[in-house]
Amino acid sequence: MIRLDHITKTFPDAVRPAVDQVSFHVNKGNICILVGPSGCGKTTILRMINRLEEPDGGDVLVDGRNVREMDPSALRRTIGYVIQQIGLLPHRTIEQNVALVPELLKWPRGKIRERTMDLLAMVGLEPGEVGHKYPHQLSGGQMQRVGVARALAADPPIMLMDEPFGAVDPIVRVRLQDEFLRLQQTVKKTICFVTHDINEAIKMGDFLVILKQGRLVQTGSPLEILTRPADDFVLSLLGDDRGVKILDLTRSESLMTPTDTLPEGLCGNGCRVQTVQPVKIALEMMMKNNADQIGVWRGDEIVGRLSWNDIKTHVNRVSG
Amino acid sequence: MNFDMNIFMDSLLQRAPGYIPEHFMLVVIPLTIAVLISLPTGILLTRPGYRRHADRVMAFFNAGQTIPPLAIIAIFFPFLGLGYGPAVLALTIYALLPIARNTIAALSAVPDDVREAARGMGMTPGEVLLRVELPLSVPIIISGIKTSAVLTVSTAVLAALVGGKGMGAIIFAGINFFRPELILAGTIYIGLMAVLLERLISLAGWFLTPAHLKGT
Repeated sequence: MIRLDHITKTFPDAVRPAVDQVSFHVNKGNICILVGPSGCGKTTILRMINRLEEPDGGDVLVDGRNVREMDPSALRRTIGYVIQQIGLLPHRTIEQNVALVPELLKWPRGKIRERTMDLLAMVGLEPGEVGHKYPHQLSGGQMQRVGVARALAADPPIMLMDEPFGAVDPIVRVRLQDEFLRLQQTVKKTICFVTHDINEAIKMGDFLVILKQGRLVQTGSPLEILTRPADDFVLSLLGDDRGVKILDLTRSESLMTPTDTLPEGLCGNGCRVQTVQPVKIALEMMMKNNADQIGVWRGDEIVGRLSWNDIKTHVNRVSG
Repeated sequence: MNFDMNIFMDSLLQRAPGYIPEHFMLVVIPLTIAVLISLPTGILLTRPGYRRHADRVMAFFNAGQTIPPLAIIAIFFPFLGLGYGPAVLALTIYALLPIARNTIAALSAVPDDVREAARGMGMTPGEVLLRVELPLSVPIIISGIKTSAVLTVSTAVLAALVGGKGMGAIIFAGINFFRPELILAGTIYIGLMAVLLERLISLAGWFLTPAHLKGT
């Protein structure tokens, strides 16, 4: 859906390229996260996809078409764009802000209004309540939801998101992340998402692109990167709790020893996990109940057990 | 110098009002020309590619403001002679700066993230200017036009010295004949005109100002 081929960009008066020979592709319906410290070129890469920046070398292909051959404004109307500063137009109401791209595309009035109302509801806002307000009358979290609604307005197949949840407090951020992941289940956009927060990257991403000083360091699924970091830089980026993060991404059923009876010494009825729950939850349950083992259930049926030893062995094996 | 109430009332009610339309035109024509020059110039000088020329052009406008209007008329005397035309020219040059300066300041004050988001949504540069930058700049641009308008109302008095007519005729007559009654009568109308024009432009500005900026 989005393919970058040896993209290079050097800003005037810069000593090194901001982006240096970066190639990767994003599959349809996936969330691809560009992650790295500031100055790694992640935002520049994102802006080259919708031609807010022009690469010095290499090609960007969207849906098989080279963006260089497309009109920049027309291209941008087909790509949703969310930025950390949000950039709502202060002189337009929330409703008018969300209606921006459909207006540019000259949709009929009635259709725009209907779509705007639907979208505001979709991002968890009360259309009748906030629709007529101006951006400065909203909270940071509300504004960011409007930013997402505006980007989704013309139903673009692709979304570019530059630290979209970076400006809100941690509690609101987690809620916005969860809501966005739920929204993505229904809208199934192809998303390029920039963040410097590795935890956000692991949580939100189907596919991670790790960057350092304009160069691509490693790509892969969150679990692939956690279990096989390419070098010390990736290792340090992942943090000291890499093992715990792996357990957060591992389903209990993948480590359990299958059984169909409740063995002796397995902690009681209140202490059980479902097969699809992460091992991290199993661990938490075991600690809470001071148990060495826990039952793994599929619905109302016991299907396996998971021991402290199983988990330890697994972490040691995968994280070397 | 004694003050004769009869002469004053006669000047105020009979003689001076006749100069009002003339003086008004001496303000409106230069002001309109100045807006037509300064607004596009200000817009152009905030566009990428022309921004680097901003300092030089503004230096020219600044110079226009520092040269006394009479000196401008003197400079252009060999080409334009005396009378209405040179007076309008001098007043126009004098009115350029506040409008151009405020246009540039207003457009530069539009937050980058707003402009950036507008571009990112797929607005063309022209749409960004007309739908985002200019509406947000209205209050500051209007205040520049007001400054120029008030400035021109008082400076236009000097037009009478070069045969450009206007309220200056009665004021300078008062100076020449030692008649403070004439000076006062003319000045009252100058003051009223300045206040009125200022309110008029404010009103126009209010209609152009986006709702979220009103009442602040």
